[in-house]
Amino acid sequence: MSTDNRIDGYARALFEIARAEGTLDEVEDELFRFARSYESSEELRKALTDDTIPAAKRQSIVEDLLGGKATPTTVQLISLVVAGGRSRDLPAIIDRLVQRAAASKDAEVAEVRTAVALTDDQQDRLRAALANATGRTVNLKVVVDPSVLGGIVATVGDTVIDGTVRTRLDQLKSRL
Amino acid sequence: MKLFELFIAAEEGEEHIDRTHHWLWPEGYEIYFGGIASVMIFALLYWKAWPLIKKGMAARTARIQDELDAAKQAEDEATAEAARIREAKGDIESERARMLAEADERATALLTDGRARLEREIEDLEAKAVADIASAGSRSVDEMRGEIARFAASAAERVVEGALDDATQQRLIEDFIANVGATSPQGASA
Repeated sequence: MSTDNRIDGYARALFEIARAEGTLDEVEDELFRFARSYESSEELRKALTDDTIPAAKRQSIVEDLLGGKATPTTVQLISLVVAGGRSRDLPAIIDRLVQRAAASKDAEVAEVRTAVALTDDQQDRLRAALANATGRTVNLKVVVDPSVLGGIVATVGDTVIDGTVRTRLDQLKSRL
Repeated sequence: MKLFELFIAAEEGEEHIDRTHHWLWPEGYEIYFGGIASVMIFALLYWKAWPLIKKGMAARTARIQDELDAAKQAEDEATAEAARIREAKGDIESERARMLAEADERATALLTDGRARLEREIEDLEAKAVADIASAGSRSVDEMRGEIARFAASAAERVVEGALDDATQQRLIEDFIANVGATSPQGASA
């Protein structure tokens, strides 16, 4: 079985479990945020991918990290992937799950990165604006990323709408 | 006995058997038999020895002729060799002269070519030095520009980061939402 098929298999399994539990939207959102944290935290990556640490210990790390901050389903799903020795594929599995969830609602995932957190109202208006710009219903996933400095960059499918200060500064550097 | 008697008789001088009748001529029978014998000997010699002598003489004549011919041939060959040597000597002289002339010509050509090449190399080196100096100057200017640009960019980044207060962040977000909201589905850009 290829890695891609394995990732797809895990994503499908997680998706079906979350949908059966009736907490798909919440779990999907929590998983997405966990995936972004996993990508940005080298310490977390090392802890979850260290084969010398027993699987039970790695699962307990996940439970300690998410306990009380995420739904039990989310914790169990991540523990399931970690126990299966697929920690390295966690972001890909979760992204595939998020896409599957969006597709099930005939929507497109819109990954939005901002330097500061968006209010609910801003998220609603941004969702509507992106839906207007792309012509599709969007499932908004917000990532707070200080490296963008200011503004927003939104990725919807293959379309990237970049209004960040970081990009403008990079363009200024190129011109200079 | 007979011999003794003869001896006695000789002593007595009656008849000397070791003396001829004439001081010059032999006895008649000696001339007769001697003449016949001589004729026979000469005839025999003429019959048997003469052809051999004649043959030997002819062979000797032929050998001498051969030797003369060989000497003549040797002389001719020596003459031809001498002529060839003289000719070769002449050729060597002319070849020597030709080689000397050719060497002179080559030396002259090499000298001329070397001078021309040296002049070209000097010109190339001068041109390259001028280009290198210009390139180094241009590179220095470029490096300085790059350095200034890096400083400027770094300074701009620090200024922007300092200017990004909460109100500015919110304004950037609101501007983005407004711009995206105003975009049609075909032309998504912020």
